Amino acid sequence: MIKAGQIEKGTALLIKGQPFVCIEREFVNPGKGSAFVRLKLKSPSTGQTLSETMKTQDNAEDIVVRDNDCQYLFNDGENFHFMLTETYEQIEVPMASFPDYQYIMKDGDTYRCTFWEEQILDIQIPSKVVFTVAEAEEAVKGDTVQGATKYVTTETGLKVRVPIFIKLGEKIRVNTETKEYLERVNN
Amino acid sequence: MRIDLPASIAPSIAPLRGFIHRAHRVHPMISTCQTSTTARIVMPMTKAFAIGSSRFNFQAAKQRSRLLKAMRSWFDSHGYLEVDTPLLSPDLIPEPTIHTFATTFSHEFLGSREFYLVPSPEVFMKKLLAAGSGSIYQFSHCFRNNEQIGSHHNPEFTMLEYYTLDADEQDSMALTEELLAATAPKNCPDHLLPPFRKMSMAAACHAYAGIDLEKNQDVRDLRRAALRLGLSLPEEPESWEDTFNRIFLTFVEPSLPQDKPLVLDKYPIQIECLAAEDETGPWRKRWEMYAGGVELANCYDEMRDAQKIRAYYRKEYAKLSTERSQNGAVIPDADLSFADIFTKDFPRCSGVAMGMDRLLMLQTGITSLKGVILFPFPAMLGDG
Repeated sequence: MIKAGQIEKGTALLIKGQPFVCIEREFVNPGKGSAFVRLKLKSPSTGQTLSETMKTQDNAEDIVVRDNDCQYLFNDGENFHFMLTETYEQIEVPMASFPDYQYIMKDGDTYRCTFWEEQILDIQIPSKVVFTVAEAEEAVKGDTVQGATKYVTTETGLKVRVPIFIKLGEKIRVNTETKEYLERVNN
Repeated sequence: MRIDLPASIAPSIAPLRGFIHRAHRVHPMISTCQTSTTARIVMPMTKAFAIGSSRFNFQAAKQRSRLLKAMRSWFDSHGYLEVDTPLLSPDLIPEPTIHTFATTFSHEFLGSREFYLVPSPEVFMKKLLAAGSGSIYQFSHCFRNNEQIGSHHNPEFTMLEYYTLDADEQDSMALTEELLAATAPKNCPDHLLPPFRKMSMAAACHAYAGIDLEKNQDVRDLRRAALRLGLSLPEEPESWEDTFNRIFLTFVEPSLPQDKPLVLDKYPIQIECLAAEDETGPWRKRWEMYAGGVELANCYDEMRDAQKIRAYYRKEYAKLSTERSQNGAVIPDADLSFADIFTKDFPRCSGVAMGMDRLLMLQTGITSLKGVILFPFPAMLGDG
C-alpha cells in the first residue's frame, strides 16, 4: 500500500483487481480544501484510460513490478512484438497501450520494460534518441531566413520539425517526450 | 562562492581544513588556499544560484511590474488604501487543510516564541478593517507548506487581497470584472476577459455530475451518489466536504466552460470558512473564479458574527490539532480573541483573494508558474 500522494507517473496500481499505470498526475487543493491528486490511469492490456481523484492521504494498492530488458522485434499493426533478452521468450503488447511508440522505437533496439506478472506495464524510452532522416523536403535554394524550418520523417516514421539545413540521411537527436528536434548529430 | 579572509584571521581557517578535506572528497570543488595576505575558501555554488541569466524570464518580470502598477492605479482611483502587513504572525486562522511554515523568534532577554509565515494576510487586514481603515488592498507574499509543487503551485506565492466596504460577494464580482478589464495587457487572451460566466455550485454539480446537492445534504446520501458515479471511496467514513470534493474534482471542475472566466458561487454550507451563510438555502456567500481551467480567486461576503467566528475557531482548531498531533505537523497557535474585533461596528465588507502568479501565467500564455516566478521553488530545491 502507498499513499495516493506518493503516486507518480509510471506508478503501477491495482484498481478493482486490474493493473493500471499512472500516466498523468496533478495535485489539486480545491478552494482551500484538502489536498487531492487527480490521476489519469491506463490499462496496459486494453489501453483503456480511467480518471481517479484521491485524497493524498488515501491508501492505494501499488503492485510489485520488475524490470527486464526486452528487444523490440517489430509491430504487426496491432501488437508490438518483444523478446526477453534473458530467456528469448516472445511477448506481445497491444499497440493501443503505447500510442506513438511505433514511431519512436527502433526494430532491434533493446528497451527496459516494466513487468507485472507476465504483462508489460511500461516501456522505458530514453528521453533523447538519435534518428536517421529517411525523408526530407529539399531546402529551397537561396532560402537563408534564420529560423526557417521544415518537416522530415525519420526511419521509424516520426515526423519532426527541423531547421532547414537538415538533409536526407543525416542523424538528428530528438526529445522523445515532446517530439522536438534538439540537434544534428555528426557522425 | 569565494570567501577571502584578511591575513590577520587567516590562521583561523586552519581548524576548517579537516572539514574541508572531508568535504573535498564529497565535492572536489571545495578548496582552500592561503597566501601571505589572504586565506581563501572556495565552495561550489548551489545549483539554485548557479542558474545562468538566460533562465530568468525578464519579459514576464516586466509584465508583472506592469500589472502591479496598473492594479495599484485602479485601486487608488477607486478609493482603496494600500496596506502592508506582516509576513510573520504569532497566530493564524485555524485552517486544517493549510500547512504552516513555522520559525522561532529568539531573544537573549525576551526568550523565544514560535511565529508563522502567513498563508494569507486575512487576519491582519481584518484587524485594520475593524480599526476603520476603509476599503483596503494588498499584494502579499503567502506561504503554504507541504503543498505539492507543480505547474500551478509554489509554496511561496503572491496574493492580491482586497476588501471592499459596504459590499457583498456579488458587488465584489462586479468589481473584479472591472479590475481585470481595466488592467489586462494589450494582447490579453479573450478567455481571461470579462464578462464572467456565472453559475451556482448546485447548478454546476447538476449539469456535470447529475447530482442534486440540496437532496444530498446528508453525508451518507452523498456517499451513495458518489458510488453510483463510479468513484472509489475509502471504506472509513469521511466528511461531506471530502466526498463532495471527489465529485467536484472528477466530474465538475474538468467540465467547466473555459471560454470566459467562470464564477462558481453559493458554496455548500458544509465547507467551513469565514464566509457568511446564505439565507436562500444550504450555501455560503462565497464564490471562486476559474480562468483557463485554473482556480484564480476566492471571495467571501465576510462573516461578522463574533459568536460564529469563535465557534469556527474552536471547531477548526480542535480538528487541526487532532489531525496534526497524529502526523507531527506544525500546529500554529490560534488567537480566540480575534473574534472580539467583530463588534457591531465592524463594517459590512467583502474580500477577494486572487493568485497573482497564476493570473500572470494565464495572461502571458505561459504554462507553468515556474515561468513567471523569478526564483521558483523547484530551482531552489535544486531540481528545477
